[in-house]
Amino acid sequence: MSRVVKKTPSVCTDMPLNNAEVCAKLHLMKELLRSCYGPTGRLKHIRNNIGGRVTTSSSSSVLLPALSSSQPLLNLIKSSILNHISRFSDCGLFAAIFCLSLLEHVRQHELRENLAIKVNKHCLSLCTSYLQREDCACRVKVNFCSSQNLMTLAGSIISSKPACLLTEAEKHHISTMVVRAFLQTIPCSTPGPVTLGHTVTVTIVGLRVLDSAVFPGLLVEMYDPFDQTDSSSGPLRTVLFSTSLAGDLAELGDGTIEVDPDVDTDLQVLNQLLELGKQLVEDEVRLCVCQKVIHPVLQQYLRSHGVVVLERLGMALMEPLSMLAGTQPVATLHARILSTAYGRVKNLSTKQFGFKTMLHLQPEGEAAVCTMVLCHRNETMLDELKVVCQKAEHGLRLTLKEPSALLGGGCTETHLSAYVKHKGQQEASESAAGLGCSPAEFLLGVKVFCRSLDMVARSLEHDGGTSVIDLNHAHHWTVSAGATKEDMVGGLGLCGCGLVENSPSTKWTFLNTEYAEFCPAPLLGDSCRKPTVLDSFTAKVNALQVAVETANLVLDVRYIIEDVN
Amino acid sequence: MRGAGCGMSEFPDLCKVLELSTVILRSIIRDHHIRQAVMLKSVTANQQQYVGLQELSALARTLQPFIGPQKKYRFIQNVRSGESALTCSCFCAIQNLEPTCALGQLVCETLQEHEKIYHTGSGCLMFLAGAWSSAALLGLCQGISVTQIISIMNEGIEICLDAVRKSALLFNGLDVRLSRRSTAAVHGLELSLSEEAFCVASNLPFNFQAPPAKVYQQAQNIRGQRQIKLSRYFCENKSEMVSEFETCSFAHIAEGLSHSCDNLMKLAVEVMQVQSRSNQDITTVTFDISKVTTCVLFGLPEDCSCAVPGCIVLLSDEQVSVFHHLKTKRLKVALIDGDLSHSYHHMGFKRPAGMQHVRDQPSVSESSTEDKWVKKVVKLFLDLGVNLILLTGVACKPMDQNCCRNQILVVEKLNSSVLRTFAQSTGSALVTYPSQLRDHCVGTGVQLALWRDLSCYDRKLVPVNISTEENTGLVTAILTSSVQCKSQLQQDRFWACAYRLHHALKDRALLPGAGRTEMFCIHLLQKQAQNCREKSTNSVPPSAAGTAVALHTSVMLELMADGLMDYITTVMINSGKMSKVEARTIVTRQLQTFDVHQGNATKFPQLVLGNENEAFVFPSRKQTECAPAVEVYDNLCVKQEAWRRALDLVFLVLQTDEEVVSGLDQKMEKDTMML
Repeated sequence: MSRVVKKTPSVCTDMPLNNAEVCAKLHLMKELLRSCYGPTGRLKHIRNNIGGRVTTSSSSSVLLPALSSSQPLLNLIKSSILNHISRFSDCGLFAAIFCLSLLEHVRQHELRENLAIKVNKHCLSLCTSYLQREDCACRVKVNFCSSQNLMTLAGSIISSKPACLLTEAEKHHISTMVVRAFLQTIPCSTPGPVTLGHTVTVTIVGLRVLDSAVFPGLLVEMYDPFDQTDSSSGPLRTVLFSTSLAGDLAELGDGTIEVDPDVDTDLQVLNQLLELGKQLVEDEVRLCVCQKVIHPVLQQYLRSHGVVVLERLGMALMEPLSMLAGTQPVATLHARILSTAYGRVKNLSTKQFGFKTMLHLQPEGEAAVCTMVLCHRNETMLDELKVVCQKAEHGLRLTLKEPSALLGGGCTETHLSAYVKHKGQQEASESAAGLGCSPAEFLLGVKVFCRSLDMVARSLEHDGGTSVIDLNHAHHWTVSAGATKEDMVGGLGLCGCGLVENSPSTKWTFLNTEYAEFCPAPLLGDSCRKPTVLDSFTAKVNALQVAVETANLVLDVRYIIEDVN
Repeated sequence: MRGAGCGMSEFPDLCKVLELSTVILRSIIRDHHIRQAVMLKSVTANQQQYVGLQELSALARTLQPFIGPQKKYRFIQNVRSGESALTCSCFCAIQNLEPTCALGQLVCETLQEHEKIYHTGSGCLMFLAGAWSSAALLGLCQGISVTQIISIMNEGIEICLDAVRKSALLFNGLDVRLSRRSTAAVHGLELSLSEEAFCVASNLPFNFQAPPAKVYQQAQNIRGQRQIKLSRYFCENKSEMVSEFETCSFAHIAEGLSHSCDNLMKLAVEVMQVQSRSNQDITTVTFDISKVTTCVLFGLPEDCSCAVPGCIVLLSDEQVSVFHHLKTKRLKVALIDGDLSHSYHHMGFKRPAGMQHVRDQPSVSESSTEDKWVKKVVKLFLDLGVNLILLTGVACKPMDQNCCRNQILVVEKLNSSVLRTFAQSTGSALVTYPSQLRDHCVGTGVQLALWRDLSCYDRKLVPVNISTEENTGLVTAILTSSVQCKSQLQQDRFWACAYRLHHALKDRALLPGAGRTEMFCIHLLQKQAQNCREKSTNSVPPSAAGTAVALHTSVMLELMADGLMDYITTVMINSGKMSKVEARTIVTRQLQTFDVHQGNATKFPQLVLGNENEAFVFPSRKQTECAPAVEVYDNLCVKQEAWRRALDLVFLVLQTDEEVVSGLDQKMEKDTMML
């Protein structure tokens, strides 16, 4: 007899954005992420109250998964940003901060939700169409003939995470490495459709950052380096197993099997394994790799026949290895291995990094697989370095799709904001008519959008300084906390992206104040200056879209219905 | 300057934190109310307080007694379980505290990483992390931004590490340049040079029969080079005298590295000598720590500690009879990396979950599968003629008994590096399962011998030496102790000494110890700070921003130097012979009288000595050459790493402003915001 439990009725929240508690949480999340933004951002310790490892990071890909909230709106924002990160790696914090500031500013200016949605969409299309335009002043073409832009792009992403604690020399070394790894994964001479290769990241704690290096081919950690041969050359026939060779029975699922106690199942599986080993030896396999564990008896058998054995490869290395050696991973031990499943490796050698011994596998032909060995003094910093390097490599890959980059250091944001403001002002009456609202309302909506963009640029400053823009190109500059009026005239140096130089005739305005709209002038081509900070174009444009669309979705939410049972 | 002159009084939380860290010290483990929610422990509201840095410096302050050669013992008591531990090392203390706060865990991780590689120097790391976090805190107080603090402190540590590199006494190719004495020679004290060398040689507590006259002569001969060559390369001329001198010099290094753990350092040197005696290759003296094991014997006085070639294990009563049967024979040995039991499987083996054993007829035989297995394995051993089995794991009871009955000795819980050494020297191979054993896996030529008859102390103590004919480099350090609770301490200190030697030989370099390197760094930091200050006042044209940066730099470098100063003075205070004021006065006076152009760290007198007889060099008699003070050394890489890691820890904490905690009870915590 089942007990009847009375169900509690669902809880319905009306107009969640008018709820003070929800707003407080949104604000908290915004402040939290804002304080992480940029190269001088603050870090967060992430930990569980029961103990375990403490993670220290300021990266959105580490931070956001750790923030789980009881508030569905927050989770909605979080998951849409995480989705962006999974596709583009970069600009997660930008998207989150922009989205949350849009929401906050809409509320502050008491804009009607449906109007805000329309104006946001309008402004977004202004931005995206401007960014795609040929004469866009905040976009830089990436020239693959020189590595300079690529280096700058990689360097900007790497220096955006202060938890790596890199010195200038180390930053340069790591950016060079990332660019080199990126270039190695582009196959040169493959006819037909080009598939990009893989970069595998290996981390080693305790060595200097400058010991980090990139190697062609794969480096695989050896857990038992004592019984291996030092190096073998000549093409080696290779087999790769994705199934466990540990000698346990294959997964039974939920079912049970009944066995006679006299039957030794372990022995039977072992015999099967040895049968397999015999075939490998007959087929003249010289290198046997397994994703999981290999039974010691089989290992002993194979080694005694001169086969190099590598076990516990891990899921992540399966695809790169099968690409490198041209093998088909074998998923069963109950059938004969087809000769097509075998691959070849050019040669093997061992390399020693600190306490780790690595086996270096080199491809026979051109397989665009390379290994990036990252070293740092402690684990926290190394973890962040790994995240950042992968992010930078992804950023570089995106340039293949769209060979452009955006000016960094907040300059793109302020420039876009000035552009949207100018454009909005110019076309206020037509646009307002098109959106079905008064020009005043439309301009308020534009103001909200621009303020939110400015807010992202302002978030780059964490040491009490103020953000200003010049009234010519609308680039972003920071004034440190103690600076005086005279300093502002003479000593501001370069703008955030490093493209514009301070001149005595430059007029300034503080970013958090009202200023008269103006058309941001494009930079003339005579400047020999190169931007020092660049952002990934594809990632940023997508982040912009994700932020606006997520904000619009949240603005559109009228009720939240929660099943509290 | 904003907020100049604000002091600690503005941190009301500090007292609370101090209290808190004492609570941590008592290791009270709180109840955990686990709730699956994420919370933000946000300090945005009180951002100006930098709780993390305060906690770090408070935690470091509670661990101060563990700094320096004269350590104080501490009890750590777990109120919940009633267990207590006696410790005198930072690392041990932190581990026993089981910190639950984020900072504590971060500190614990950092120390663990350091200790895993270097096994020494965690006290220095912890202290400097605390001292430099106070420095950062004071910097923040004076309105210096986080970014600036980081870049200036980075500059500071670069100055320090560079100074450390410059003060290193290299013994590349194994000649030790004893700079202090060699300068004495430069200053026209040639005679005292050799006399001093002679003094050092003859005053050593070690038993090296170096004939004083010969040493004297040797020193005279090489005086022309203004350095004492203490080289194994001298062995090229096969002079007996030289090699003895070399041993002496090595003892000199060891003594300098002992940091007042003289008896255990002596043991470590002995271990090394036993090991290198077997190692015929004299061009590379190394100390292979992986081949060293320790064996603790209770009930014997501490001075019975010694180093023995081979691997010494203690046998149980049942094993003793087997041993007596085997002791005269040449044994065949099997090496098993794992447990010796039926249920043991290698790592990564998954036991099937849904397996049932079903029998259609009632079982006839009484013996279980385990018994069958044991019989099978023992039969295999007997067939192969194995008499000795060395294991990294443990053997199951029936296996043990069966082996004993068949006169097979099973030795459990050995180090896997020891097993590998045996594998190499006996020509055998490590296997995971006994069923893998074949003829070629079995090694020969192992001998068992009773190391010493200790039945007069304790009948249960039967130390047996397992050795091979060929010398393997395996050495056992016998640690004896009459007080049981001291054994862990003794082991820790022995390993610290052994690792210090190991690192010295690996680096081929030493640092002038007893505060000399630190003083040199303080000197350089202060000089740089002074330069910055002058630059800020003399800059033309005066730019406010530039002046501020230079001023901030000078302030931060001074604060960093103060951190190092605190370190030396704490070491001096811990020796129990002077007050803080006295210690500071001595150090300051030394720094003032230091002549910039004269050189490096070795020019400073030693501040703290481990020895009781020669404690402090007071300024009044700093130049007196009469006292043959033992020169104290530190390890180069350990010090560099400890400093770097300490600063990294400070940077991580300094840059962190919030903590994201999951699984918190909302009602329990007050200063938190829930997301």
